[in-house]
Amino acid sequence: MKHTLIHLNSSPYSSLACKEGLDLALVLATFEQPVDLCLSGAALAILTDNQDPTAEQGKNLHKLLAGLEFYDIENIYVEKANTWIEDNPTWQGVHSLDGAEWQTLFSQYQQVFRF
Amino acid sequence: MQYTLLITGSPYQSKACHTALRFIRAALNKYPDSIKGVFFYEDAVLIGNQTAQPPRDEINLTKAWQEIAEQHKVPLYLCIAAAVRRGIINESESRRYELEQHTLAEHFQLEGLGTLVDLMNTTNKIIQFR
Repeated sequence: MKHTLIHLNSSPYSSLACKEGLDLALVLATFEQPVDLCLSGAALAILTDNQDPTAEQGKNLHKLLAGLEFYDIENIYVEKANTWIEDNPTWQGVHSLDGAEWQTLFSQYQQVFRF
Repeated sequence: MQYTLLITGSPYQSKACHTALRFIRAALNKYPDSIKGVFFYEDAVLIGNQTAQPPRDEINLTKAWQEIAEQHKVPLYLCIAAAVRRGIINESESRRYELEQHTLAEHFQLEGLGTLVDLMNTTNKIIQFR
C-alpha cells in the first residue's frame, strides 16, 4: 500500500484544482489508502474561517476540513513561514512544519500529487 | 517496471497532454509493456471530446492519443466526475442525464477515481503531468 501526499497549491476559488485534489484525497481514504495533505501558496486560503462564498464564487471547501478526520485524513501540513495563518482566524487542524521539515516532507511519500 | 500516467493539465492551457504523449511514445517504443494505463483528471479530460476540431495546421491531440490506444492497447481513462461536469459524456451517461447527444471520443472510457487507486496499487510508479 502506497502512502500518498496530496499537495494543494491552487486557490480554492480560481479553479477546480483544489476541489479535485481534495476529491482524490477522499477517494484514496475511502479505499483505505493512507493519504496526507499539505497546503501552500494560494491554497492556504482554504483555511480561513468564516468563508461564505456565493455560488458564482465556488464551493465552500473550508467546510470539508472538519470532516477529513472521519476519513482518517489527520495529517494536514503547512509551512510555519506562512505567518498570516497565526495572525488570522483559521482552521486549527493543521500541523505547522519548519522550513527543513517542509522540505523533507515530500521525500517521505511513495507518491505526491499536486493540484 | 510498469508506469501509470496521471495527466491533469488542460490540453489547451498547458503542455501536459503534449509532454505525456512524447513520454508515452518514447516509453512504448523502448519497453512495449511499460504503460499500464493513462488516467486523465481535471481539465485534462477535455482531451476526450470528440466534437473538438483543432485547426488543420495544428496537432490533433485527441487523435494522437487515440492512435496510442489503438496501436499499443493502452487504456485511456477519463475521470467520470471531471468529464461529465465538462460535457464529456458517453452513451450511458447521456441516457442518464436525458441528453440527445454524447461527446466521448472513441478509445477513451469514463471511470471513477477508484480505477486510479487501483492503477496506483498495481504499477510501480505513477507520473503526473500537469
